[in-house]
Amino acid sequence: MSYKIPMGPFHPGLEEPYKLDMICNGETVEDVKLHVGFNFRGIEHLAETRNYIQVIALMERVCGICSNVHTLTLCRSMEELTGLTPPPRAQYIRVIVAELERLHSHILWAGVAAKLMGFKTMFMTSFEIREKIMDVLQAISGNRVNYAMNRIGGVNRDIEDPQSILRMVEALELEMAHTVIPIFTTSSTAASRCAGVGVLTKEKAISCAVVGPVARASGLPQDTRRSAPYAAYGELEFDVPVQTDGDVRARLLVRALEIMESCKILRQALEKLPPGEIHTPGERFVFTTGTATKRIEGPRGEVLYSVSWKEGSKNPARIHVRTPTYAIMPSIRWMMQGARLADAPLIQASIDPCYSCTDR
Amino acid sequence: MTDTRTQLESISEKLGITEPWVEKGGAHWLAPGTKSVREVTKVMNEVHARFITVTAFQLPAGEGFRLDYNWDLDGQLLGLTFQLAANSIESIFDICEAADWIEREVHEGFGTEFTGREYEPLELRQGDTPGMNLREVKQ
Repeated sequence: MSYKIPMGPFHPGLEEPYKLDMICNGETVEDVKLHVGFNFRGIEHLAETRNYIQVIALMERVCGICSNVHTLTLCRSMEELTGLTPPPRAQYIRVIVAELERLHSHILWAGVAAKLMGFKTMFMTSFEIREKIMDVLQAISGNRVNYAMNRIGGVNRDIEDPQSILRMVEALELEMAHTVIPIFTTSSTAASRCAGVGVLTKEKAISCAVVGPVARASGLPQDTRRSAPYAAYGELEFDVPVQTDGDVRARLLVRALEIMESCKILRQALEKLPPGEIHTPGERFVFTTGTATKRIEGPRGEVLYSVSWKEGSKNPARIHVRTPTYAIMPSIRWMMQGARLADAPLIQASIDPCYSCTDR
Repeated sequence: MTDTRTQLESISEKLGITEPWVEKGGAHWLAPGTKSVREVTKVMNEVHARFITVTAFQLPAGEGFRLDYNWDLDGQLLGLTFQLAANSIESIFDICEAADWIEREVHEGFGTEFTGREYEPLELRQGDTPGMNLREVKQ
C-alpha cells in the first residue's frame, strides 16, 4: 500500500525551507512532488525600485553562498547596456573571486554531503578547509558572505598580495589531492551511500535541461566558462570534468575534480594578473534602452540575468534571474523515483540546492 | 563543429523565416513572425538547443505583455520574442519539460495563461492570487 510522507518545509539536512511530498511503498519512494516558494522575497520586483548602484547590493543578496555570481552577471548585463568594458586586471580579479567562491561552495557542499552520509570526520575536515578560503575572501573584500566586489565597469577592490592566495591554493590542492578526494572516492562509507543512488540519466538530464555539475555528472559536457567564455576565462586553460553514471557519486566526483580545476585556474590567474586599473576611469555612463542577457557559470551551474533599461532612467525596467537550482530542482523527481526513503535527504543535497536562489 | 552562422541559418530555414538573426544585448535574436511558440520549440528540440528560460515583461501604457524565450545552442544564447494577445500563449510544457516551472512562475507573477496545460501552485501560498506578485496593478 502506498502512503505519503511529507519532508519539509524544514529540511533535515539543509538549513533552508522547501517541501517534498513523497509517495512511498514500503521503504521505496515511488514518486515525489516538490513545493518551493517559502523564501519568495519578490527581489525581481524590488529591483525595479532600486537605482543602478543600489540594485547591485540588492542582487548580491539573492544568495548567501554564491552572492558574487549574481553581481557579476548583473554587472556584465549593465556593462552591455552602458558600453563599458572592464580593464584586463578587473577581468582577472573577477575570475579569481569567482573561483574562490566556487571552491568554498563546493567544499561546503562536500561537508554537508559528508554529514548526510553519516561521515562526520569528513564534515569537520571539509569545513576546516573551507574556513581557509573564507579567510582569503575576507582578506580581499573585507567580507565573508557578500563581497561587494563587482561594479559597473570593473571591480571595487584590488588584489594586492596575489602570493598569499597562491600559497593558500597550493596548500588546498595538496589537501584535496591527498585527503579529501581519496577518502571520498575510496571509502566504503561514501561508496555505499552514493554509488548507484539518485540516478539522473543523460536523456532525462537533457529533457530537464539541467545545468552545472549535475549536468556534467550525467554526461553533458556543458560549462559556460568554456562554451561562452567571459571575464578572463578565454585566456586560461582548464578541463571540464564529466562523469557518466549520473548518480550521487558522479556528482561528488565532478565537484571534487572541479575543485582541482579551480585551483588550476586560480594559479594561472594569479600568475598572469596584469597591472593597471581595476575599473573604467570616471563615473559617467549612460544606459541605452534595451535588454541585455548575460550568463556566467556559478558553482551550481549557469546563472542568467536578463536586464532591461530605459534611457534616462536610474532604475532598471525589469530584471529576470534564472538561477541554476531553478533549472535543476525539477529533476529531483526523476532522481528520487525508486530510491530508498533513507537516501532522500542525500539525493536532494546532491544537487547542491539553493532555495534562496530558486525563490528569489 | 558547425559554425554559429550556419546553425542559426539552419533554424531560420526550418522555421521558414527569411528575416536575419540580430545580435544584440549578448544574444542572437530572431523575430518569429507568424510562427507560434510551439513551432519554434519543436525546431529548437530538433537542433538540440537547450531551453533556458522565459522572461515576462509588462509593456507600458496598456500595451499588454511580452515574453522573451531563451535557448542555448553550443554556447550561443538564442532569443525569440512573442507579443501576447490578451495575455495568453500556448504552453510548451508537453514538448519541453524544462519549461514547466517558468510557465507556472510567469502565470503566478503576471497572470499569463499558458493554454493547454494545468497548473499547480509553484511559489504561491494558499490565498494568494495569480498575477499579484510582479504585475503592476493600477487602481
